[in-house]
Amino acid sequence: MSEPADTQLVPPSSVVLVSGGSRGLGLAIVTDLLDAGVRVAAFARTVTPELEKLAAEHPDRVHVGSVDVTDLRAAQIFVREVEQRLGPIDGIVNNAAMGQDSLHAHTAADDIARIIETNLTAPLQLTRLVIRRMLAKGLRGRIVNITSICGQRGFPGLVAYSATKGGMDAATRSLARELGGRMLVNSVAPGFFASEMSAVLGPTQLDQIVRRTPTGHLTEPVEVTPVVRMLLREHTNINGQVIVVDGAAAI
Amino acid sequence: MNELSRAQIRDLMAQVLKNQDKELPADDAAQLREIGFRSLDFSELALRVEDETGEELNFDAPGLRRIATVGDVLDFLVELQHQ
Repeated sequence: MSEPADTQLVPPSSVVLVSGGSRGLGLAIVTDLLDAGVRVAAFARTVTPELEKLAAEHPDRVHVGSVDVTDLRAAQIFVREVEQRLGPIDGIVNNAAMGQDSLHAHTAADDIARIIETNLTAPLQLTRLVIRRMLAKGLRGRIVNITSICGQRGFPGLVAYSATKGGMDAATRSLARELGGRMLVNSVAPGFFASEMSAVLGPTQLDQIVRRTPTGHLTEPVEVTPVVRMLLREHTNINGQVIVVDGAAAI
Repeated sequence: MNELSRAQIRDLMAQVLKNQDKELPADDAAQLREIGFRSLDFSELALRVEDETGEELNFDAPGLRRIATVGDVLDFLVELQHQ
């Protein structure tokens, strides 16, 4: 479908929804966006004391809630609350995800379904929910999908997980086309973190990755947050891209 | 529930190795690295146990990474059948 290009710039996001914002990279993204003066709505299955603390420190700029990303009804209610408290959402960071650490042959069929539901179906549905509201209001905005180097490179024990991350990277490209410049849609694909979900790789595998990484260390959340912030806030023409943040480990 | 004994699992393990012209030592302390029993051999063994019992044995990788000896393999699979 070829139509005249929409040449109006997409403004920086001012109210950003972050899924899975209670720990790890999600919490780091919430913290970083608050430091940048952005209003942030964050949900997670469990709201941690760290996230509660941020909410208490910035009562006028933060809205937090306990929502399971696979519960679309709860997500809808949360989005309405956010709009009432902080204003219309014009940015979303799809960060919530579950990890995997099991060989495909020995992963229960139900577990495969759960990984796909949490990491692929749920973010697509949440994105749909938010862009419908943005389009209805004539808003322009930004979408950042947190994916993984697993979407592009192979790692044992992460078959279903990799499928979801590669799926989100593919969705990023098609969504960027579909939204015709009214929204900038990109993925950020971190390499393995030393903590959190990268408990999915054993120490031997992590040592091997570090040895093969030119920068000599695993990725830290604070090395990823500036990239997410740039995609949400800066005037760039980056759209439909997957930006890998892994110290060139996968190159 | 139909469950295999440690000795029965040991027999299946010997078959997996025999198919590769390798031998299973009698000593439970024998190192898997030395006898050439690798992670996909463990998968094969687990699937053979499944075939015998008719029960799926699903498990995460961290447990697998701690396995170093023949005894570890047998312990792991005996334990897994109880889960």
